Amino acid sequence: MGGTLARRLEQDPDFEYVAGLDTRTPALDLRRTEFIHADIRDPSIATMVAATEVDTVVHNQIVRRPGPGMSSATMHDVNVMGSLQLLTACERTKQVRNIVVRGSAGIYGSEPQAPQFFGEDMARLYPLRTRFQRDVGEIENLFATFSRRHPEVVCTMLRYQPALGPSLDTQFARYLSLPVAPTYLGFDPRIQLVHEGDALEALVATVLRPVRGAVNVAGPGTIGLTRMLRMTGRPSVPIAGPLFNSVADGIRRIGLGDLSPDFRRLLRYGRAVDTTRLVEEVGYTPRLATPAAVADFAARRTGTAEASSGRAVPR
Amino acid sequence: MTSRGGVAAAAGFLLGLRRALESGADLPEALTRAATALPHGTRERVRMALRRMSGDYPEDEWGFDEEFVRMVGPLLDFLYDRWWRVQVTGVENVPGHGRALLAANHAGILPWDAAMLGLAIQREHPLPRFPRFLVLDWAFELPYVSVAIRKFGGVVASPHNSLRMLEQDRLVAVFPEGAKGAGKPFGHRYRLQRFGRGGFVEVALRTGAPIVPVAVVGSEEIYPKLGEAPLMARILGAPYFPLTPTFPWLGPLGTIPLPSKWRIEFCEPIETAEHGPEAAADRALVLELSEQVRETIQGKLLENLVKRGPAFV
Repeated sequence: MGGTLARRLEQDPDFEYVAGLDTRTPALDLRRTEFIHADIRDPSIATMVAATEVDTVVHNQIVRRPGPGMSSATMHDVNVMGSLQLLTACERTKQVRNIVVRGSAGIYGSEPQAPQFFGEDMARLYPLRTRFQRDVGEIENLFATFSRRHPEVVCTMLRYQPALGPSLDTQFARYLSLPVAPTYLGFDPRIQLVHEGDALEALVATVLRPVRGAVNVAGPGTIGLTRMLRMTGRPSVPIAGPLFNSVADGIRRIGLGDLSPDFRRLLRYGRAVDTTRLVEEVGYTPRLATPAAVADFAARRTGTAEASSGRAVPR
Repeated sequence: MTSRGGVAAAAGFLLGLRRALESGADLPEALTRAATALPHGTRERVRMALRRMSGDYPEDEWGFDEEFVRMVGPLLDFLYDRWWRVQVTGVENVPGHGRALLAANHAGILPWDAAMLGLAIQREHPLPRFPRFLVLDWAFELPYVSVAIRKFGGVVASPHNSLRMLEQDRLVAVFPEGAKGAGKPFGHRYRLQRFGRGGFVEVALRTGAPIVPVAVVGSEEIYPKLGEAPLMARILGAPYFPLTPTFPWLGPLGTIPLPSKWRIEFCEPIETAEHGPEAAADRALVLELSEQVRETIQGKLLENLVKRGPAFV
């Protein structure tokens, strides 16, 4: 994900210098990005970041669920301690003017009684129920505190809805590639997504025109989960609410995929956000609305499926 | 169509389906081919069902599904014409475009009054439009119910939602009595309950939307509530658990509403734009307008009760 951002930034002549910091070497071939191999939890990143003399810092990835080989304690560590170290590094770097965080709309939660569209001021309407939500809450608090103490730095907290696109391994892409997608019996939540292309461009737009505080990022409109499954041609099986957790745990145990607690709530109650601030203040209008993002995903999927089956059966 | 014609069409359909499947077509393809044996109306319905199966149907950002509403149309039409014999007056008081807030009395446990209100505007208004409903939040935790409400244009009753909807220049229907109205005992029928804190008036003032009071007569008799089972309500987490002459004794049959006679009157709109959006903070004005709406509805209720005469014949 960071690789795609770096590639996008280095192609743009507006950006004189691009540096990337990660534990993993970028998979993409980058031309002029200086890559710093470091762990965000390591206090030494402070000197490394200061040495780059950058004016904008993008915190591009918070961990959404503990993946293979990562315990939930590590996830918390990377998310919260990592953000803390990054902010310390920003404090040391005198040139920093903007900080942009790719956060999550997960902080709003998924609630049956929730407003149909969350505005940026509604982050704490409901208690933070999951570990991930509490992580995001803590990260948001850290950045809010930093922003108060350093009024000269513009901190933008981008609250992303789940992404869907051709390339990346996102939660919805994984869900839609399960052999049979489990759904909650009798529920058809409104889902709102952001296409990966828009996710990237919104981030770049924010780097160019930062605003203070939180900004929701999502494709306009919503789509019912049933309609989404039908458009992508995925078979689904409805599961009664009380049994859903055991089924989801079973799916994880046989190694098909992991539905995080946040994602399970999303499949039951859904969530949508209001994107007025993104459009009017940041000045970025997502190109693909939510149904269009799903249609794009479906078209690419069937496209590749036909291509591969064409190769498998030579005529 | 005679019943013999129906059987022949069904047999033709099944034969066509088998032939298509044997010739190697997949199921949707086979259904489409076999549907040529059916009469036109049925064929259209099969085609629509297939299209919906591939996810090709519109939903707006609120999850409102107009096609779904039209699909259940025949049932609602039957209830409207035959079952409840709805008579509508004053439909010209509903603005044909632009934002407006309908405020109606609420009764009858299940929101049949909302459905009939929507249908009345669809059928009687020169510029028909679908009103959106503000629904008690408890309903959104329920399986199936929550989906049906969403597809019919219902949203959680919260100022966030009603503000956004009115700013989009929609027609929004609200039942200011809330659960108190729907759950009142039979003996208290047609006596309006307290109107909460006047939140609907605040929203109307902030958006400058006119308020159209609506009096619905007939909904009070469809489920005469004789008592309550508070323990069941506690177990289900429901606001109340009604006991009627038929529910829960007859099981699902107990949810069939009684065939009372209905009258719906749309009253003259109360303009709010003249007060300006700041007036929403004026408690006295909000409560005054709220009381004005309440009195209008109460007056029209009694008037229409007299006009209607006996409840069931």
